[in-house]
Amino acid sequence: MVTGAAEARFLPRSQLQVLIDLLAEDGRRVIGPTVADGAVVYDEVRSPDDLPVGLRDEQAPGSYRLVETGTPRVFDVTVGMTSWKRYTFPPIVPLTRASREDGHLSLESSAETPELLAFLGVRGCELAALRVQDRVLAGGPFVDTDYLDRRQSSLVVAAQCTRAAKTCFCTSMGTGPEAGEGADLVLTELDDGFLVESRSPMGDQLLDRLPADLAEPAQQTAARLAVAATRESIGNPVATEGLHDRLLDALDSPRWQEVADRCLACANCTLVCPTCFCTSVTQRADLDTSTIVAERSWDSCFTAGFAKVAGGSFRSRRQDRYRQWLTHKFATWIDQFGTSGCVGCGRCISWCPVGIDVREELEAIAPPAEGLRKHPQLAGGTGPATYSIGTIRSIAAETADTYSLVIDGIDPTITNGTPGQFLMVEQPGFPAFPISISRYGLDHVVLTVRAAGPATSHLVHSEPGTEIGLRGPLGVGWPVERALGRDVVIATGGIGLAPLRPLIDALVSARDRFGRVRLHYGARTPRDMLYTDELASWPELGIEVALTVDRAGPEWLGRVGVVTQLFDQDDWRGQPAVAYLCGPERMMQVAVRTVGERGIPAERTFVSLERHMECGIGLCGHCQMGKVFVCRDGPVFSVAQLGDALNVEGL
Amino acid sequence: MSERGLAARLGESWFGTNLPPHALSQLAEIATLRSYPAEATVLREGAPTTEFGVVLSGRIALRTLVPERGPVTILTVEPGDVFGWSALVEPHEATSNAVALEAAEALVFDGPALRRLLAADAALAASVYPRLLTAVARRLVATRTQLLDLYAGQEQAPW
Repeated sequence: MVTGAAEARFLPRSQLQVLIDLLAEDGRRVIGPTVADGAVVYDEVRSPDDLPVGLRDEQAPGSYRLVETGTPRVFDVTVGMTSWKRYTFPPIVPLTRASREDGHLSLESSAETPELLAFLGVRGCELAALRVQDRVLAGGPFVDTDYLDRRQSSLVVAAQCTRAAKTCFCTSMGTGPEAGEGADLVLTELDDGFLVESRSPMGDQLLDRLPADLAEPAQQTAARLAVAATRESIGNPVATEGLHDRLLDALDSPRWQEVADRCLACANCTLVCPTCFCTSVTQRADLDTSTIVAERSWDSCFTAGFAKVAGGSFRSRRQDRYRQWLTHKFATWIDQFGTSGCVGCGRCISWCPVGIDVREELEAIAPPAEGLRKHPQLAGGTGPATYSIGTIRSIAAETADTYSLVIDGIDPTITNGTPGQFLMVEQPGFPAFPISISRYGLDHVVLTVRAAGPATSHLVHSEPGTEIGLRGPLGVGWPVERALGRDVVIATGGIGLAPLRPLIDALVSARDRFGRVRLHYGARTPRDMLYTDELASWPELGIEVALTVDRAGPEWLGRVGVVTQLFDQDDWRGQPAVAYLCGPERMMQVAVRTVGERGIPAERTFVSLERHMECGIGLCGHCQMGKVFVCRDGPVFSVAQLGDALNVEGL
Repeated sequence: MSERGLAARLGESWFGTNLPPHALSQLAEIATLRSYPAEATVLREGAPTTEFGVVLSGRIALRTLVPERGPVTILTVEPGDVFGWSALVEPHEATSNAVALEAAEALVFDGPALRRLLAADAALAASVYPRLLTAVARRLVATRTQLLDLYAGQEQAPW
């Protein structure tokens, strides 16, 4: 029985305790999101205070942080580290107990009656994951009775998502952010409480006992809009149409080897995955072997022993194991069980220690036909005429012709941009122009602008307090996650340091997750260097800085020469490094060749291209270069993506 | 320092990396380890170049005096790289001033002695001259890149 939205109720925030108490009264242990060790973990909840009150999760490839929001909201965190399978399909389950007495063998089942549970705050993708495991473990000719018992002992209170993490892609997998089938109650968080809907007879009974009035139409609209905005913010990051066939056609893709080069085969992805179900059985014996317990525990297709037979392992190479996981999850799972094995929760992306992003790998291994190719959803105003307003707070000279402008009063989507993205800047009477963001603050960004023409000259000579139009953040920035666990070399010249500064900020903010970080910076003369205070202080933050200028007077005691000569003093040859390059194109050509000679592959060498960009969203055609629009598909590209284009004159 | 020690240090330098052992030991026989205090003049533009050197530590600036602009540093010679190549190329006159920007250490070779050694031993010359040519060619390519004045932003931007 499905109850209509017309009967949706409103539960004031102050009454959330009542819901928890009602569930407990029914003899259920309430499990919900709690905070442990800086992450959200599903554990016992006795009061709303146990929930992640006023916290938001920031997830990215290889990265997870909780951030305080200062609001009383409890469901602003998305998915936790572990999934609900920890309760429905625990990591270790005793199967049988064997004993031998007087020559007789007895084998007893260790099955126990599971406790009654209530899951509070199950997301759309997680409901889908429960349905997937229901199909795998209880929907075939053989049934895992332990799983079935646990599932039947659990009541599900879902929470629809009113924000998304950067790793979310439920929209592509068709699992969220709305709550699909399988919930008893569905909550949608509003500022002052929760819209509550029932989806089952058990839900109806609970709803009747809740101190919740019928919801006002405005409350229902607010809830619907919040979830719709979440859907909008995720976009459609994975092109699933035809993915099954595309993936199985790509079994010999060279990309498997490239992933294996990064993959640690640590199995984190399979442990945090809410649908992975592989297990092994181990025997545990008393010292006198009179009693032997067989236990079932989670296993992973990434472990060395998973595909081992007497003659060796069928999948001894990491590339084989990654291929096994990805093709099962997204292709052969459908053949076996009728649904995809992926629900788009993004856990495998955040909890991968080297930040392998399954969305990126699918795109690279099994690229969709051109018409289906998805581009990252652009935040903020994305139409050619959709501007938000920002205020110039201060202007500071960096060099004789280059200035850093602090812009505040801006749309929060701008501060949520990534290193290497840019804004289109609009001043009435001047053509709009692209400027990369040179620093992200909590409530402001910094733009570093060279006065090179009329519009930029006008901007840098504006009075503080002047309002300007902004569109963005636009484009694809530096893939910071590719540097996780690696040495990093950043080579740049002149104003090219500006778009790299947010990347350096990102490396500094999680310094222990990267190897050696070297910045090679060249300028025309010592007076033309940007951010000189920071160049002096970065070494204290673990960034090795080497500077050079093209020419200098006798007062300069540093290096004189071209920036690529700085590589002569480096000794990372053979180390698995990643290179980020930005500067005049001719400088980057030389730098690309130099890092290539030092053994950094084209897939891990990233350049930021400068082209004439007018619209910023791939519509106006100015920045088209071969197969790409620099504004929309870049400006950051790997050298492998560009192929020979970097060295062709006039492209 | 012993000749063996000098040969080892030469072999570790960028310039000496690919030289065969016999070349390293022959060169070490006529090499001297020299220290320069900061601001010491190593070479004087237009003066006879009497010594060829390989920098082991510190930094040496190659400067040209431009009337009304003063001394302009064109290049700094970093550890492993060479100075005084004109000691081997006629007319054996220094092409720029070389000044130690900080305390520096170099392996130096007397120009006439090095020329005699290379003239007498074709095998040694066949090892050393390509390295020297590489060093000078690298410098030529780098100087061309500098000449492009890439960071200047010569054209007026459309915005």
